[in-house]
Amino acid sequence: MAKYIIKRVLRSLLTMFIIITILFCLLRMMPIEGYFENYDKMTETQIQAKLNVLGLNDPLPKQLWNFYKQLLQGDLGTSNVYRVGVSINEIVAEKMPVSLRMGLMSLCISLCLGLPLGILMARSTRSRFQIGDRLGTVFIVIVQALPSAVYHILIQFLGSQSSVGKAIGFKMLFEEGEPITYVLPLISLSIGSIAYYAMWLRRYMVDEANKDYIRLARAKGVPSAKISRSHVFRNAFVPLVQYIPNSILLTLMGSLYVESLYSIPGMGGLLVTAIKRQDNTLVQALVLIYAVLSILGLLLGDILMAIVDPRISFSKKEGSR
Amino acid sequence: MVLSIQDLNVKFTLRGQTLHAIRGISLDVHQGESLAIVGESGSGKSVLVKCTMGLLDANGYIDSGKILYKDADLAKNRTDKDWQSIRGREIAMVFQDPMTSLNPLKTIGKQIREAVELHQGLKGQAAYQTVLEVLSDVGIDDPQRRYKQYPHEFSGGMRQRVVIAIAVACRPKILICDEPTTALDVTIQAQILELIKKMQQKYDLTTIYITHDLGVVANVADRIAVMYAGDIVEIGTCDEVFYDPRHPYTWALLSSLPQLGVKNEPLYSIQGTPPNLFREVKGDAFAPRNPKALKIDFVRRPPYFSVSPTHKARTWLLDPRAPKVAPPEHIRTLREKGGLGNG
Repeated sequence: MAKYIIKRVLRSLLTMFIIITILFCLLRMMPIEGYFENYDKMTETQIQAKLNVLGLNDPLPKQLWNFYKQLLQGDLGTSNVYRVGVSINEIVAEKMPVSLRMGLMSLCISLCLGLPLGILMARSTRSRFQIGDRLGTVFIVIVQALPSAVYHILIQFLGSQSSVGKAIGFKMLFEEGEPITYVLPLISLSIGSIAYYAMWLRRYMVDEANKDYIRLARAKGVPSAKISRSHVFRNAFVPLVQYIPNSILLTLMGSLYVESLYSIPGMGGLLVTAIKRQDNTLVQALVLIYAVLSILGLLLGDILMAIVDPRISFSKKEGSR
Repeated sequence: MVLSIQDLNVKFTLRGQTLHAIRGISLDVHQGESLAIVGESGSGKSVLVKCTMGLLDANGYIDSGKILYKDADLAKNRTDKDWQSIRGREIAMVFQDPMTSLNPLKTIGKQIREAVELHQGLKGQAAYQTVLEVLSDVGIDDPQRRYKQYPHEFSGGMRQRVVIAIAVACRPKILICDEPTTALDVTIQAQILELIKKMQQKYDLTTIYITHDLGVVANVADRIAVMYAGDIVEIGTCDEVFYDPRHPYTWALLSSLPQLGVKNEPLYSIQGTPPNLFREVKGDAFAPRNPKALKIDFVRRPPYFSVSPTHKARTWLLDPRAPKVAPPEHIRTLREKGGLGNG
């Protein structure tokens, strides 16, 4: 087990190194305007002087070396356009908690509603008219088929403009410290993943329920509620376990669309703003965070999977990844 | 008599059509015996035993008839709750494919323990000890280590031993073995049959084998019921059915067994296919495939005719008015081997 984990960690580090290096090199190819607040008004000597200060006139390998040295000390650099002279660590530290809080709340809601919905649908496939399954499928198909922008706007509009919504006190925009304004964005954030978890859990549970060992469990007299719980659900949940660390980590980055819709001061809009304003160091830092979080999520998912599923072997040949 | 099935009819609904899978079967199972139900695929042998445990697929139902067990009619059970007192506790089952019969995410020990806790009411250390006992009972060495292992760490034969251990751990009265050796190597097959026999003696079980392998039957069964198209066409003791078969289907079945020491002779195969059970079967279901069928075979369903107190067959050939139709050559030599002469 330890050997397997070490191997996977080393491989992830290698992937991170490759991604970060490519990212760094790509951003050096960008026009140098991205390092200046008012490039147009500066003279050539001023520009060269600033480039020297930033170390951008050094040969590429030296720049890369300095970048990694900085990075290992936990320094993501300084924003040059978005908020001049402010360290990116500071910007991220300010925005990340907002996204994280919303994200974790919505993840809890999705799991708490999505999993039971999946279980309900799977159980309903065995009933006479399968009403639960049919209704659930309608919900899932609508959520999956509609472009998310459509239902986000619908939720925002109906939630804040309808008389019922107004009576409850829902508002168009998010306001820090006013919990009632969290509700609509949370619904928007959760609805997609509720459908996602319900769909996959239902599917895996129906698969499991037709397996021979479920028949054997019935034949040995295990009550059906216990079969659902400790045989069917548990086994069906295993394939989903792999994606949970990733879902948790990526909440750090926030949701681009929902956050801008409700003007939540989170991470979501930051990358787009940075790209629009051509703030090269900020783009670099944000893409880097995305990449690291994704790789970390996959790594943790694989390790978690290995813990829950005894069939994954640690010593013999490894899987394809 | 522990289990008595009376005029059982089982139907399935499939895409709006009705399939008559069991067509009026009556069968008595005696205490302590081992009964083998043989028949080709689709003859309804698995469906028959599934009825006794309420394990029919969702689209199958008991149309009429009784399944009497300990003064209760199991055919009246509807919900899983009704069956709770029967499954495992009274009747346990060993399935065909040991590779898929065990939950891959639970240790062997836990899976046996589930049965022990459920049916013997044991907990904690007592349950653990019982599991170890059962494991060594079914011939698994080093049970303490094996207890903590997962199914994928076991070979096919070993897994079937575990499945048998689960069945036995319920302390049932009747053990149903649904093709217990079909998925196993030939060398392992004999060991598993031996094990089931041993368990039968040790725990005083009544066993019902379902199989299409007549070799298995000859080894283990006291009595044989031959099924064809959802009906028992002949039933008798092992010797009676093997050495003095009366139904043309049994003749055909036995003739299609390869014989050791017979060379250069093509193996007999039964012409045609079994009847479509979506339609009503008229007369003797086997008649269309029987080259020597009588006219009446196509018109009226034959009743059972007794050959001996333990042996009966559903064929018009046994009617006193029927013309004498000689069984195939091969069957006649069987009779001589069995010392039954030309009965």
